[in-house]
Amino acid sequence: MRRRSPWFVLVMAGLYVITASCGKKSTTEGTTIHFWQFWDMAVVTPIIAEFEKQNPGVHVEVEQLTWATGLEKIQAALASGTQPDVCELGSTWLPRFSYEGVLEDLTPVYQAERDSFLMWDSAFYKDHVYGLPWVQGSRVLFINRELFKKAGLDPDHPPDTWNDLLDASKKISALGNGVYGFGQNIGEKYVLFKKFMPFAWGNGGDVFDANWNVTVNSQPVLDALEFYLKLAPYSLQEKQEVLDQYFKTGKLGMQISGAWNVKNYKIEAPKLDYGCALVPRPAVDHGEHVGFAGAEMLVVFKGSAQRDAAVKLARFLQAYPQARAVSIAAGSVFPASREAMSDTTFTNDPHIKVFVEQSLTSRTPPAHPGWIEMEDVMDHAVEEAMYGRRAPRWCLDDAAKDITTIAAKFNQK
Amino acid sequence: MWLLLPWALVYGAFFVFPFLFSFVLGFLNYNPLNVSHTTFVGLGNITRLVGDADFHGALRNTLFFVIGTVPVTTTLALALAWLLHAPLPIKDVLKAAMFLPSILSVVVIALLFKLFYAPGGALNEALRAAGLPTHGWLTDPSTALPAIMAMDVWAAVGYYALVLYAAFTSIPESLYEAASLEGAGHWATFRHVTFPMLKPAIGFVLVINTIRSFQVFVEVLLMTQGGPLGSTNTLVTMLYDTAFRRLDYGYASVIAYAVFILSGLFSVLALRRMRSQTPVQTRGVPA
Repeated sequence: MRRRSPWFVLVMAGLYVITASCGKKSTTEGTTIHFWQFWDMAVVTPIIAEFEKQNPGVHVEVEQLTWATGLEKIQAALASGTQPDVCELGSTWLPRFSYEGVLEDLTPVYQAERDSFLMWDSAFYKDHVYGLPWVQGSRVLFINRELFKKAGLDPDHPPDTWNDLLDASKKISALGNGVYGFGQNIGEKYVLFKKFMPFAWGNGGDVFDANWNVTVNSQPVLDALEFYLKLAPYSLQEKQEVLDQYFKTGKLGMQISGAWNVKNYKIEAPKLDYGCALVPRPAVDHGEHVGFAGAEMLVVFKGSAQRDAAVKLARFLQAYPQARAVSIAAGSVFPASREAMSDTTFTNDPHIKVFVEQSLTSRTPPAHPGWIEMEDVMDHAVEEAMYGRRAPRWCLDDAAKDITTIAAKFNQK
Repeated sequence: MWLLLPWALVYGAFFVFPFLFSFVLGFLNYNPLNVSHTTFVGLGNITRLVGDADFHGALRNTLFFVIGTVPVTTTLALALAWLLHAPLPIKDVLKAAMFLPSILSVVVIALLFKLFYAPGGALNEALRAAGLPTHGWLTDPSTALPAIMAMDVWAAVGYYALVLYAAFTSIPESLYEAASLEGAGHWATFRHVTFPMLKPAIGFVLVINTIRSFQVFVEVLLMTQGGPLGSTNTLVTMLYDTAFRRLDYGYASVIAYAVFILSGLFSVLALRRMRSQTPVQTRGVPA
């Protein structure tokens, strides 16, 4: 028999030690479910303990991912076949994962609970459902009540229509002294689309129609972009953190932003007199108040050895008491469950109440597997128009061409 | 020999293997979400690189960054090292101040400079106080990249100044005495004694800084994410976006090799330039 060299033995031993320590741990008896998520372990641990209590013999290994590197970790895990059983995924990414065929089909769960939850759109791929809505965060219009009063506007009647928004922006901007009427994001990725599209959606426009034909250069979207540009002379065009800072220090009349501000203002600007309102609609007799929402979805990876237990865990986490606990602790999201609409914890707060109401008409990004690339195209088109590089019509026409090319790439596969 | 094993294992696992693996990936259409659908694309990713307008933009930005920062950083570092070499009463304080940015995390520096460039930041407040118009330094496509470059020079110059200062101190005093005896002035002494003797250290600074500059990433990611309008999109930010957002690992690997080849080429050019003249040893010093 051929004798193995000491090198070979050592390398193999080293590899064994490394792989053994990196591999999935499993209990000697019962079922172990691996769950990856992004929230604070202090919030998730008691929820998991309750699940384990209700399901004797089932052990859940929870791992907290970071927003900065979580996605990379999930990709690496899938590439090496060490993915968890249950995982939290954002609505922006879910369509790509669904398209790649790495997720369990959860259509039967959807059929059982479709009416109890919002934010299903991103979970659909070719008439099947691959994720369960867990928590969501809509964006609403923030108004500085003090600046409204100074500008002769009624803060109890925030802008309802586009014209109201433009008029209020002009009047607040006219106050001078470094005060801006409205805040528009510029010079940063992954944000412009979220700030502009609510205007297009509210006006009946969209990136795609129901048959996935590209409609981003349609008249409703163009009208929305042209209106958005009308706000520019009265707006502070900056990055989100600068807009938040200006709003917090009373130098910005209005901006569209998320619930993290409500949480932050309590600590950082307790005296700030502000209000929240639905994103303005095009006109009283036209369009609707549509906001952007990011949803956190629960998925079960295909090939999970504990598929049934994994689905059970996902449904347990999605249920209202658990989603509510996560939402209250996070302070920036709300349960995707419709039960939140009647929960006084949310509805009694005048600010939070608006977020809950807005979520009824909020939309997640289009559920297209190529959306990540398409989002860049959209951001670029809006940004080009805002910088005045080209006419809005040309920006949207080019965006339509690019999005069509990206869509074709995914259709070919 | 055996003592080298842990190092060899780590080096093999975290350098040699990824290096070779990404070379192979360059010829594949590899998606980590669906490894079983990996296909061989031959030179497809390379031909795509040649015709990719986004790559051309990122390459242009990266070259602008390298050419704009490396000579400036090196020249300033040389000037500061010269200053430190002079008899100064607060030399230690200066050295500590210069080295301070080197011990700060790039993340901290980027966040500080974001505040510095903000509409109400120190730079705009200073302009306002001087009666000059303020500017959106990071939101204007024409100033965003130069703003990041200025930050990079500030952050790097102190470290390189200390490297050059160390080289300054190793120049034999006898050479200066000889130059003095020959009647050489300050400029002639610098040109014919100091500079030639510093060439190996300057070469080191140029190579290290060139490689670092070609790999500029964290600063861009934190300050502009490649925007506005792609004006700060560099090769490594494009690589990151291509791999981890677009899941196009094959194409990202080709971009990675492009960065590797370009930084290698520039480094070799810089080294050759610095070696074109041999340092003076004990030759007479021209006046």
